[in-house]
Amino acid sequence: MNKVWVIAKREFRVTVTRKGYIFAVVGMPLLFGSIFGISFLTSGDLEQSIKSGFEPIAVVDRSHTLDFELAANFAPARESPTAATEALQKATGGTPSRIVPYTDMTAAIRDLKDGKLSAVYLIESDYMSTGKIVAYSPERGLFSDLAPPDRSRLYDLIRASLVKGRIDGETRDRVLAPGRLKQMKVSKQGDVENASDAFQKATRFFGPFSMFLLLTMSIFFSSGYLLQGIAEEKQNRVIEVIWASVDPMELLLGKIIGLGAAGLLQVALYAGMLLLPAVTVFALFQVSVAGLILSLVYFILGYLLFAGLMAGTGILGNSPQESGQLSAFWTLLSMVPMFVIAPISEAPNSWLARGLSWFPITAPVTMLLRISSGHIPWVDVGISIVVLLVSIYLAVKGAAKMFRAAALMFGKRPGLGEILRWLREA
Amino acid sequence: MSSSSIAIALSSVRKAFRTVIAVEGVSFEVQRGEIFGLLGPNGAGKTTLLRLIMDIFRPDSGHIEVFGRGFQKQDKARIGYLPEERGLYTRQRVQDVIEYLVQLKGVPHTQARPRTLHWLKRLDMLDVKDYKVQELSKGNQQKIQFIATVAAEPEILVLDEPFSGLDPVNVRFLIQVIQELAASGKTVVLSTHQMDLVESLCRRVFMIHRGREVLYGDLDQIRKAHSENAVVVRSNANYSDCPWATHKITNGRGTLLVLKENCRPRNVLAWLLETGAEVESFECAKTPLEDIFIHLVQGKSKT
Repeated sequence: MNKVWVIAKREFRVTVTRKGYIFAVVGMPLLFGSIFGISFLTSGDLEQSIKSGFEPIAVVDRSHTLDFELAANFAPARESPTAATEALQKATGGTPSRIVPYTDMTAAIRDLKDGKLSAVYLIESDYMSTGKIVAYSPERGLFSDLAPPDRSRLYDLIRASLVKGRIDGETRDRVLAPGRLKQMKVSKQGDVENASDAFQKATRFFGPFSMFLLLTMSIFFSSGYLLQGIAEEKQNRVIEVIWASVDPMELLLGKIIGLGAAGLLQVALYAGMLLLPAVTVFALFQVSVAGLILSLVYFILGYLLFAGLMAGTGILGNSPQESGQLSAFWTLLSMVPMFVIAPISEAPNSWLARGLSWFPITAPVTMLLRISSGHIPWVDVGISIVVLLVSIYLAVKGAAKMFRAAALMFGKRPGLGEILRWLREA
Repeated sequence: MSSSSIAIALSSVRKAFRTVIAVEGVSFEVQRGEIFGLLGPNGAGKTTLLRLIMDIFRPDSGHIEVFGRGFQKQDKARIGYLPEERGLYTRQRVQDVIEYLVQLKGVPHTQARPRTLHWLKRLDMLDVKDYKVQELSKGNQQKIQFIATVAAEPEILVLDEPFSGLDPVNVRFLIQVIQELAASGKTVVLSTHQMDLVESLCRRVFMIHRGREVLYGDLDQIRKAHSENAVVVRSNANYSDCPWATHKITNGRGTLLVLKENCRPRNVLAWLLETGAEVESFECAKTPLEDIFIHLVQGKSKT
């Protein structure tokens, strides 16, 4: 076991200091971060963008139409805010903007420039006859709002001021808020569903789906490192030196543990980068703890299976490139669920989804996808885990046999018959 | 010979790859503390034999024993192996590579470093410890590979062509190190094409050709057995008058007198003394190992 540990430590250290790994872990998020950053630069800073609309708006009312006392506690019975708006307000801690009366346009424009206001509205003196209002909002680049913020709130106040003392009771309420709209969605199958439920469903899906993508990518990254490492050791002949010190199973286990740890670190760093800066992500995209744990279980099982398969196949090639070509078979096969991602997401317990979960090569990706799509029967979880455990045992054992037979074989690639003979041999 | 004095024993070992028989019916013993020569032309089966000893390959039939019993997993830590095809992590630091390979032999991390530094110093390579392996010359990479093999201080050293790629100075240096290792009780199995080195290092040899034994035993006896009935003489005698010689060949070492069938060297020595010649040197001719090697290989190839 000591040798396994020595190999695992080295594999981990060498992998996490590889340029490719550092790029994948740090570079990719930086790249995506930069893209977002550029978009924010052109539309103002991040905080400003999130809080946009939550700064007060100033109104310079030269027509004396508005009753600003109404604005202080005015909350018209308008249609329900959307689930998205509620979630965003909750996540950002934002409060509805206030309407502040200004008399001096110069002072209002200066405060707008300093970021104390989100917009300035000038109601001209001939407003009643012309309806003319001029809106001023800050320049925020390409992505700045085309419409000035809180226009509807201003209109509500204008309406409330105009009807004050003229209409009362329900009529007033309906003038101010003609309807409380409830939105329903009708699916292709004819099912009618509350639209806000559909949104929540979408947000429930998005978080786990991100986790699915992250873990799936990490499985292939980690097993890819294993494949590359083995192919390189065969190509530069180090494998014979190592062979003289450890047996194939020790070498394989050491590599699998070391590279698996590197893969887990990659996931943890991604998750850390994702979670730390944005509590919003969890608030918006609800990731269940059970789903998270189960996803990690499938990540580990998936990685172990692919590590065994990649190692067994990788050792057959004469170069990293050739080994990569050989192992593409497993990668393609395992990606089958990605081609039917829509039907599985829509019906995570369909026979298609269940069948792919019971087939070892497609089980990890399918189960990760199903976990992200909804509740799945525990029997499916049990069957897929048993199938995966048996397959991992066979794959790792088979890989160890291939190592013994093919590690020092150069030149001609073995045929299928020969490979099967090696696998049968003790 | 007691089994405790035997480090390695092969008995009727056979190994085939697909339809090619690499080793057939090979048996030999390597004694503890000796430098044992394994000889043979390219493709004769030497490397396969070494890999069989190292348990990298398993024999199809026959038996291999190390330390007086069948190969056990922990024996890998007691045998150092320098393969013919060198393999190092070329993009890593010299010291890191050696330490890692030493640790794989079961040496604890705390001991791996001082041993690595000791051997780097011993082979005059301490100043390159922080270099990447790929930055070293081929000869220096060879020395690093040698250090990685010996720094774990195994009881048996299996060295496949350890001198290839080295300049004469380093060859001499490495010979000295190998002799010191043997003197300290290590068993060395040396596979090489360089016959002069085998003659200077080994007392016993095994020669393989086409997977089968062609020579095995004490080097002196082998050379004697394969030598012609001849003597090499340096003197002022007139060899044309010698009644025992069939013909003579003169070279820088002296004159080689090939003797008649029933003649013994002492007859020639007696004749020299009778003639009153001044004799500078007189020795029984022994065929160089290289000649025996070529003779056997060519002879077998013809058959």
